[in-house]
Amino acid sequence: MSDEAVDVLIIGSGHSGGMAAKVLTEKGISCLMLNAGPVAEAHKDAEVKPVYALPFRGFMPPGKLPHVFQSNEFNANTWVDEKEVPYTYDAEHPYNWVRVRLFGGRSLFWSRQSFRLSDYEFKGKSHDGYGDDWPIGLADLASYYARVEEIFRVTGHTDGLPQYPDGNFVPDNEPWSGSMQRLIEAGKKMNVPVCKARSSMGVNGLASSVNLLLPDALATGKLQAIPNVVVRELSVDKKTGLVNEAHFVDRISRREMSVKARVVVLAAGTLESTRLLLNSKLANSSGVMGHYLIDQIYGAGIVCSVPEARDGKGTRELMGGGALIPRFRNIDTKAKDFIRGYALNLYSNQHGVDPKHFAEYGAKLQDKLDSYYGSGFSIGIMGEVLARYENRVSIDKTVADAWGTPALHIQTRYTENEFNMARDAVDTAVALAESAGFEVLTKNYDPNPPGYSIHELGTCRMGNDPRTSVLNKWNQSHDIKNLFVVDGSAFVSSGWQNPTMTILALAMRSSEFLAEQMRTSNV
Amino acid sequence: MEVKPLELTTLVPDAVAQTEAHFFNEVETQTLRRFCQVLMPPLKGFPGALDADAPEFLDFLVGVSPRPRQQMYLAGLEQLDADARKKFNVPFAKVTDDQADELIRPWLRAWMSDHAPAEPHARFINLAHSDIRKATVNSQAWSDAARAAGRAETDQDLYWYPIDPDLRRETGTALRRPATTAGPV
Repeated sequence: MSDEAVDVLIIGSGHSGGMAAKVLTEKGISCLMLNAGPVAEAHKDAEVKPVYALPFRGFMPPGKLPHVFQSNEFNANTWVDEKEVPYTYDAEHPYNWVRVRLFGGRSLFWSRQSFRLSDYEFKGKSHDGYGDDWPIGLADLASYYARVEEIFRVTGHTDGLPQYPDGNFVPDNEPWSGSMQRLIEAGKKMNVPVCKARSSMGVNGLASSVNLLLPDALATGKLQAIPNVVVRELSVDKKTGLVNEAHFVDRISRREMSVKARVVVLAAGTLESTRLLLNSKLANSSGVMGHYLIDQIYGAGIVCSVPEARDGKGTRELMGGGALIPRFRNIDTKAKDFIRGYALNLYSNQHGVDPKHFAEYGAKLQDKLDSYYGSGFSIGIMGEVLARYENRVSIDKTVADAWGTPALHIQTRYTENEFNMARDAVDTAVALAESAGFEVLTKNYDPNPPGYSIHELGTCRMGNDPRTSVLNKWNQSHDIKNLFVVDGSAFVSSGWQNPTMTILALAMRSSEFLAEQMRTSNV
Repeated sequence: MEVKPLELTTLVPDAVAQTEAHFFNEVETQTLRRFCQVLMPPLKGFPGALDADAPEFLDFLVGVSPRPRQQMYLAGLEQLDADARKKFNVPFAKVTDDQADELIRPWLRAWMSDHAPAEPHARFINLAHSDIRKATVNSQAWSDAARAAGRAETDQDLYWYPIDPDLRRETGTALRRPATTAGPV
């Protein structure tokens, strides 16, 4: 109907798209947001049910979501079904691509751990010689982090560690539980800092684009949004070389449509933004698009029991609370068989211990479960995966999604650096737990498959040199100046940190830059 | 005209009906039943796996599962039965509790989610144990027992229905178009 171009077309509605919409509309710029999935509303799409009334008694529907370990029968319908949006990989190197296409994307479900990257990440190459430095450092991003932390109400404690940069926190002055104090003492003996974790409180337990970002954008009257439209391709004006149109499919009717735009902001999530650009054959004069897929190692860790908390003695003073051990390897010393580092997540639990952690059955197992109830303590890794050229995605022309758009082929694998890091993390966790007097019930050295962390990053990395990077330091395409990619695709390295705060800070910074460029007619 | 909502309290079928088991043969079914009975007997007022119809439910679940899970169960049940006949000259369905312990205990492991043991029989013993517990604890019989014991109901959660389901998916194969096609036709 309309042939008039919108000012800014934003593709994706998660944290990065929501932030772009908020920043741009508040500066008076009209935005149109396209989202591939529907708007979920608990009052119409969901119902409280007992597990026995579900179709599969709480088991995952067989064959559904084989790569989404986080799913369960209650939430199975909220994830992207890989039969609908398939991807391919070599059989010996599987990848867990975990996606949500509901309005708000994965911001509806994230774990809310909220960290800044430090210059050990931004300037990793300068520190240890590996990979590439980011074109920006913590100083460039600090003020944006502070504003994001304010919006998301990040609770935390000021620790003064350079590898764990402090932020604009709602102070966390909760006293440590006794079990955590024992772990802290064990850490001191091993020179391992045990800190408060940092977490987005959000509002009413939700720290999502849909409640913290999009309402502000909508309040300006400058944001329009269309759900259930799957963008398949962007095209450029042949005269100017600028991107000027998006072609999409109505998800339910399959009607093909297009919309013109002056500026396109991609915020579809790391691999979907890259897939769209690769399918569009745009913005890749460097040839590095799709390369340097990064994520983080999860899954290696231990489960223990605090003996003094057993048999009903697990009081609130003794048990409960979480903690975080920020990276401590390869800061001032050098680990023997890996570079970079990992963090450890610690949880002191007041609920039941998982029966899997006991090699028992029947009445003896029940006795264990009763005795150990409320004494569990777990430690798990969040480790940096190195950025490597050969870990990459490309278009698989033999497979298409339900709307006919070619699928992504993902080639990635962990190497000795990741496996050695995981081993060190588990051995360190065991040493800490034993020093604290805990009983180690079980441990696991094997990382989950790549992608499991849901922290896929890179593939459109930023840099100063257009020959070796896709985006400049403002998340703007080197090749096409009215094209921005504001999600995790821009990352140069992953660090061990949950990337959400960094994605949000980069999206805010990039969007403000874009608004200024539009005001001065540079874009 | 106002339409009054139907005042109807519905049942889940398990409350009154039996699952018609089709997948496992007679020997496998009897092996599975004994395995369930040993691993999860009724305890402290809570139903055991047999009371919760765990074997029948697992017959259904495994029967509609991808091939690897089916093969794991078939091979695992066969080995349990073969081990019982070899060691005690009885089918697994007839082993005593002590004999069952001798056959099962060597394979038990303490493990972490998503990292079940790799050796095939240990994998079966531990994953099937986990499945049997889940089928039992998630049953209505268990829920009723928990309520009777005055325990807080922990078995409820928000269940998401398919949201704006894509109806076309059910009817036809995916459209395919070459990657080189530029925009809509």
